Amino acid sequence: MEQPNWMSLSPMHLWRDWIAKNEAQWSETVSRMLKDEHISKVLNRQLGEMQLMHRQFSELAQASLAVANLPSRSDFEALDERMGRLEDGLARLSAAVSDLSQALAASPSFKAPTSLKRPLRTRKASQAAMNTGG
Amino acid sequence: MLNTEPQPSTLLGLHSPAQRALEKMGIPGMDFANFTGQLGVTPKTTIDAQGTLKLHHFTPMCDEVYRVPVLIVTSLVNQPYILDLVPGQSMVEFLLKKGFDVYMIEWGRPRKEHRNLSLEDHVLDRLPACVNKVLSHSGESQLSIIGYCVGGLLAVLWAAIDAAMRGKVSAGPLKNLVCMATPVNSDGLESLKTWMGPDFDEEALLAEHGNVPAEWVQNALRSLRPFGKVAGAANLLNQADQEAIVRSNLRMGKWETDNIPFPGGVFRQMVNDFLRDNCLINGRWKIGAYSADLAAIRVPLLHLLAQDDHITPYASSRDLVQRVSSSDREEVMIKGGHVGLVAGRGAQMRMWPALEAWLAQRS
Repeated sequence: MEQPNWMSLSPMHLWRDWIAKNEAQWSETVSRMLKDEHISKVLNRQLGEMQLMHRQFSELAQASLAVANLPSRSDFEALDERMGRLEDGLARLSAAVSDLSQALAASPSFKAPTSLKRPLRTRKASQAAMNTGG
Repeated sequence: MLNTEPQPSTLLGLHSPAQRALEKMGIPGMDFANFTGQLGVTPKTTIDAQGTLKLHHFTPMCDEVYRVPVLIVTSLVNQPYILDLVPGQSMVEFLLKKGFDVYMIEWGRPRKEHRNLSLEDHVLDRLPACVNKVLSHSGESQLSIIGYCVGGLLAVLWAAIDAAMRGKVSAGPLKNLVCMATPVNSDGLESLKTWMGPDFDEEALLAEHGNVPAEWVQNALRSLRPFGKVAGAANLLNQADQEAIVRSNLRMGKWETDNIPFPGGVFRQMVNDFLRDNCLINGRWKIGAYSADLAAIRVPLLHLLAQDDHITPYASSRDLVQRVSSSDREEVMIKGGHVGLVAGRGAQMRMWPALEAWLAQRS
């Protein structure tokens, strides 16, 4: 006889279960409120105000961090951008190497290693169904 | 079942009564920092790179593959590895094992210099360039495209424009089109349409940031289901003793917080032309000099949808199959949510096999 799952009877477990089961209804109720045009107007106005506050705070934080000789968010963003450019450059190199490998593999005088050998493009659906027994 | 074998504690510095108590409860010491493992590890080669875009070719896993290659077009606002989480939870790996030759577009993280990238750049330039590269790399004249969410919308726009340009005179490079949770009718995206209506100042947002910040995208998507995170956490805690479920959940959670910025130009067009004016359904969407008309699409089409999709509700996606002119078209509804459709347990049991069965017959 299978042992009952005693953990599922714990108050915490039951409470979390209740949350999970009712979440869809709560989300639907709040979503319906958020779809109201008046609320949307208010939210958009708040968004604009938050953006302004964010800019002011960023400027203040940048100045303070510079005084403390610490990097700011924009320093990290600049670093992120440089790393992104490096990654893009590496990807271009990788693509160029891939093109070169393809060209070499196609050359009759080059003995292609196994890693460059292409599979046959002859697979058919009926064969696959037979292979899977379906 | 939880692994109750004694394990050395790997939590640095936590050789404490707390750790010993946890281990006595059957929760072995684990490196939580690496609990999800590395994601997106199916072997691949980058065969083309333009700007931040990378076109990948996955190493085939069969000695014999279907003739028609498959190009996966991912969303612009998320990392593509949702389709290739880990071995055993990877749609890409599944397709490779079933004998498909798989390619994938990774759009990359746009930087400030990319803020003016537009839909024209994606639909008329980058996507066709990737199509041509896939065809030359595979040596084939046609391919299948699988588009997920906004990636599906980009694929649909390209397919419609390409078909209209060719008319009925010549067959184009597209053999089959598969869309997954692809929105085409913004009237079905009620929340987003209301929030980004006439009172929403997208120009101020773009003037401040260039591209739409990843956190902004994340918050907007989370607002579509305000208590979703809380319920997800509660559910996860109730299944904390099931390691496989916890790992799977944490992987998808990691991806969910890994949004990428939305290119400013594309965002501007999506807000104005798609959300506000619903141009695709109204037959007025011009991408550059070309009109995107769903009725121009005649290739076989499969649209896979999630029953509980709060990001792409059915009202926003059902028109795709109804508006195309394809004689071979099918819509399949799978139980689950927007992300579970492609990466959850339901995907493994239902969506992936349905996709494979449909595509295999047409490849």
